[in-house]
Amino acid sequence: MNLSRRSFLAGCGLLLGGGTGFLTSQLAGSVPVALRPPGAKRGKAFLGACIRCGQCVEACPYDSLELFGIGGGLAAGTPFVEARKTPCYLCTHEDELKCISACPSGALEPVEKRSEVRMGTAVIDRKTCFAYNGVTCRVCWRVCPFQGTALVYDKRMRPTIDPKACVGCGICEEACITEESSIVVRPADANGGEG
Amino acid sequence: MSKAAKSRHSRHVPIHAILRRSTAFGFLLLLFLGSMDWFSWFKGGTTATRLFGAVPFTDPLAALEAWLAGGVTQPLLWLGAGILVLLAFVLGPVFCGWICPLGLLLDLNEFLQRKIRHLFRRKKGKGLPLLSPPDGFRLPLLLFVLAFSFMVGFPLFQTISPINLLAWGLVFGAWGGWILLGFLIVLEWVLPRLWCRSLCPLGGLYSLLGRFAPFRVCVSTSKAGKTLCGLCTTNCPMGIQVMENFTTKGFASIQDPRCTRCGACIDVCPKTVLTLGFCSSGRGAPSFSDPRSNCPESTLENPDSCLSGGAHGT
Repeated sequence: MNLSRRSFLAGCGLLLGGGTGFLTSQLAGSVPVALRPPGAKRGKAFLGACIRCGQCVEACPYDSLELFGIGGGLAAGTPFVEARKTPCYLCTHEDELKCISACPSGALEPVEKRSEVRMGTAVIDRKTCFAYNGVTCRVCWRVCPFQGTALVYDKRMRPTIDPKACVGCGICEEACITEESSIVVRPADANGGEG
Repeated sequence: MSKAAKSRHSRHVPIHAILRRSTAFGFLLLLFLGSMDWFSWFKGGTTATRLFGAVPFTDPLAALEAWLAGGVTQPLLWLGAGILVLLAFVLGPVFCGWICPLGLLLDLNEFLQRKIRHLFRRKKGKGLPLLSPPDGFRLPLLLFVLAFSFMVGFPLFQTISPINLLAWGLVFGAWGGWILLGFLIVLEWVLPRLWCRSLCPLGGLYSLLGRFAPFRVCVSTSKAGKTLCGLCTTNCPMGIQVMENFTTKGFASIQDPRCTRCGACIDVCPKTVLTLGFCSSGRGAPSFSDPRSNCPESTLENPDSCLSGGAHGT
């Protein structure tokens, strides 16, 4: 028995047309925002260049990177960091940023110095942060790889972030002692695709 | 089929089925091992891998999409694609038959489907319908995928490819594609090899690249019998009329670009007429008297209509 070409074509056309329309409308809107590995291109450029092979995920010595499944929508198959679970440790014990050297497609671009990584910017929730509520706590400051430049304590012993120096590694987000982290990395893509 | 041939066939070892499932499983195993920290020989997913940390392999379609969508021109990536393109030039679309993890899943699915259908054989027209997926859609879909990548700047196929979904789930623990894969598996019980035959743009690309590959299923002109049993054609997962070019034009090899060199036809052939190897694609005089040679051209698609009693099982 043969499936008629016409009905198959109609089915295919319907699926393709619908799928294309849906995808294009999704892409026309905002690109999915996630904390990307170091050196990642921004926004749509990253989605276009990432070949979805997962070599960065396998290269990460700390298992910080995960891969989006189909649930990630347009970001399916691309890598992300869940900082509260395992932040990016910037390969401090390695000679290079492993994910960047593993990337075959250049979606992760080489970074000269670790301080030049721009994954995002840490943002402090002053309502829940202990230091802003009268309790001395230096956890985020202790763990920050760029303490003194990216994360600074003010005269009242409260942490402040310098967005120009923060690399967005998320180590502070992981370390924060409040139930819900009071310091959260805002991915670079969340700022309208600008660094 | 004579009694001797029948008994020979029944204890025939499906060597190609065992081999191709082993290589595909081996590839999947390598991908899985690659996700372990201690295993550094083979890293990556279905779209791009690296052997011994140095030799790259890139899915040519993934490379094309990354180039069209993201302007990716990394030499390493294109070297990896070049290696596979060269392999396809020589070996044809062997990726489909011997490596593809989704191919393995659908191959086993088809095997199961055939077995169960055999167990619950009913009268004609009853039970689950069996349809033949239409051919000729893979290349238009390939063109569409490439055009989409270029126009929208988004690698469409790499995001929805069931081949990738399978690898993401099994290798990277990114589950979620199972509903789609399950849907495909169920659908293929009615439309066997729907994905491979009608939809897969990667298969279309490999078929295109391997159009003139010298590695193919060869026909031994000396061993070919006098009658066409048709087992090769009924067992071909890609729906190729396997012996047609031999019986009608005398080609001593399978010319159809869709052939994935999977060897299913070789496994079922009761007379070892078919082998996999490098053989000339040249044609000779058909040394074979095909019962259909008396049929008019118009009935070649459906020879049973012209042959009394049919070509099968005689």
